[in-house]
Amino acid sequence: MGASGAGKSTLARCLTRLVPCFVPAEVTGDVRLLGEPIHGRRVGELAGTIGMVFQDFEAQLFSTDVTQEVVFGLEHTAVPPAEMPERVARALATVGLAGFEGRDPTTLSGGEKQRLAIAGLLALRPPVMVLDEPTTDLDPVGRAEVLRTLAGLRGDGLTLVVIEHDTAAAAGADLLLVLSEGRVVGRGAPRELLADVEACAAAGIRAPDTCCVLAALGLPAPPLDVETAAERLRAAGATPKPPRFLPPPRPLRPPLIDVCGLGHRYPGGHAALAEVSLAIRPGEFLALVGRNGSGKTTLAKHLNGLLVPSEGAVRLEGHDVRGLALEELAQRVGYVFQDPDHQLFAATVEEEVAFGPRNLGLDPAEVEVRVAEALAAVGLDERDADPFLLDKGVRQRLAVAAVLALRPDVLVLDEPTTGLDFVEQQKMMALLRARHAAGQTIVIITHTPWVIAEYAERVVLLAGGRLRYDGPPRQFFADDELLAAAAFRAPDVTRLGRLLGCTPLSVAELVSWMPGRQAPCP
Amino acid sequence: MDAGETGAVPLTLYVPAASRLHRLHPVTKVAGLAAFIVAAFVVDRPLALAPLAAAIAALLVPAGGFPNVRRLRVMFVLVFVSSLVVWTLFYGGRFGATRAGFLYGLSTAIRLDTFLAAGILFLTTTRVEEVAYALGRLGLPYIVGFTLTLAFRLVPVFFDAALAVVQAQRCRGLELGRGGIVARLRRFVPILVPVLIGALRRADRMAMALELRGFNSGRPRTTYLRARAGPADALAGAVLAVTTVAYVALWTSGVGLLAR
Repeated sequence: MGASGAGKSTLARCLTRLVPCFVPAEVTGDVRLLGEPIHGRRVGELAGTIGMVFQDFEAQLFSTDVTQEVVFGLEHTAVPPAEMPERVARALATVGLAGFEGRDPTTLSGGEKQRLAIAGLLALRPPVMVLDEPTTDLDPVGRAEVLRTLAGLRGDGLTLVVIEHDTAAAAGADLLLVLSEGRVVGRGAPRELLADVEACAAAGIRAPDTCCVLAALGLPAPPLDVETAAERLRAAGATPKPPRFLPPPRPLRPPLIDVCGLGHRYPGGHAALAEVSLAIRPGEFLALVGRNGSGKTTLAKHLNGLLVPSEGAVRLEGHDVRGLALEELAQRVGYVFQDPDHQLFAATVEEEVAFGPRNLGLDPAEVEVRVAEALAAVGLDERDADPFLLDKGVRQRLAVAAVLALRPDVLVLDEPTTGLDFVEQQKMMALLRARHAAGQTIVIITHTPWVIAEYAERVVLLAGGRLRYDGPPRQFFADDELLAAAAFRAPDVTRLGRLLGCTPLSVAELVSWMPGRQAPCP
Repeated sequence: MDAGETGAVPLTLYVPAASRLHRLHPVTKVAGLAAFIVAAFVVDRPLALAPLAAAIAALLVPAGGFPNVRRLRVMFVLVFVSSLVVWTLFYGGRFGATRAGFLYGLSTAIRLDTFLAAGILFLTTTRVEEVAYALGRLGLPYIVGFTLTLAFRLVPVFFDAALAVVQAQRCRGLELGRGGIVARLRRFVPILVPVLIGALRRADRMAMALELRGFNSGRPRTTYLRARAGPADALAGAVLAVTTVAYVALWTSGVGLLAR
């Protein structure tokens, strides 16, 4: 674990000789694999000894057929054809893809693709496997599938080296290495390292909620699991006293965006949305959630006219979105795509942000005002920097600035925190909170429970293209059926609170409900 | 990436089925495609082409290829109608409908649709990897077949990314179809740069992933696909040979050609 740029991927690539074979570098010191030094070996020679899985599953599949995909490595490492059917069957069974033989990988879900990539390596029977953020690009369902597969591999005796941002997933490891600025700053059992809330913060890691709560209450040696933590709190006599929650006030202002009976059918007949109705009011902070394929991205793309409804309509202050010009829409509803690299193209940060305002035909003075305002909003000041050389988190904020420069009334963001480390995730959310405080209406699509719990005012859950829930996050996280529909697990602090009879949405909230923790009297 | 919601469509037309055609040796299938193309190419009388079209249609049924034909029906109609209209009106370099032009247009329409149908039949019954295997057996270097496979795998991924870029830039007010030619071309820069850079980044990762799977391992290559030619291949080969010879005869004798 460690923040972006700590050296995790570089270390992982040294183990497989990708550094320096693919990434030129001067390497000192020694790596021994099964007792053998790997110095001077080629990456391909080590296939079958060590495998490596990347975050980008599309880049790891080369065939148009699942069986052929698994066979690929066998063909290139001189495995006799007679052995292949058995190896393929084993590898596919291990990752839970038995029965997928003959499928085209293009038709698989993200989780299935990633498991197929793992099967392709597994067929080579390496004793060691390195995985660099294997679940970052997956939805909760795909993530659970991959984590289950990894648990199975570990049970089979494979050695796994996993780079992971999620504390809960790291908690089960035998050994945790924490890197910071290219050095190992922590090495030991996860429960000991992660319990040190301050050390986690220093290394840019999100400390487990249980540890944060117990540390804030001054209780020593916090456990990582919520059940034990709840017992410890009960034993210490810490009973939360939540305030009485009033139902949210009736909205007074008319809706900014009105979605009426929206249906969307993709060519080929696949219905992505059916009978969706919701009103988005000015100043709301709304989280759109649901499993992959539930229709949330489709719905979001209707908000600014990227898609045309098959049924129903989307109205912006009473006007049908279909009748509005592109320029008008771009200024009313800004849309930030999940991958910033899908829109960054300019040579400098300044040019990138100026692109939108120039498309609107604004005069240079106004363009400059917009650029300055947008860059300030996202906390970027290197105007001449090359966008492609910036870190992922900074590129993500630049993409937000590029849309903010259009001064949209509504900002729609597709998974704004995916693929960022904890520090950058917090920066992104702080920036959105500041925009929201300034009156901006915000809609985010997200798979990250703590982001919803801590930031959203309203949760809209889609399941199978239909509206399943529309209400405050507290009720959402208190309802196991809804959580199952979204394939979500509530944040640990919420689960801990529920064991104690309340539904807190953040560590700070639960701690503030503890008797004796209220603001001290003057 | 939310693959389920962007809707990548596979480029492959392969229909997994256990038909006799599927079980033919890949080299036989490549030869069959070649024979049909040659036969349809050398004659131009609609009557001479009709049996070929009928044969392909008859083979598409047991191969399970009709859903693919339906998927591409717009192309069939478009090719047929445009050939017929264009040749009828412009045959011989002058504008005006002629009977000779109509006949030539009809034969071209049937011929092009036959090519299309033959291609669909081939891809319905043959995995891209089998095509690569057949090309290897015919003496082409491995890299040719591998590149073909990779192209079929990557084109949908690439289109998906390009679609996302177009949408992302539209959200920033980029309108592609406005202004003069230079202005229009310049407006493609914000589309092309992210698409190309994204493809390069991915290619980089893909090169790593390839080697991690043993590509370039220094060991000899083995092949999983193990096709053995059987009696069905001998029969198919004989039919193909007779057909090809017959059509070449129709061509050289002039029987299969329209009067000029």
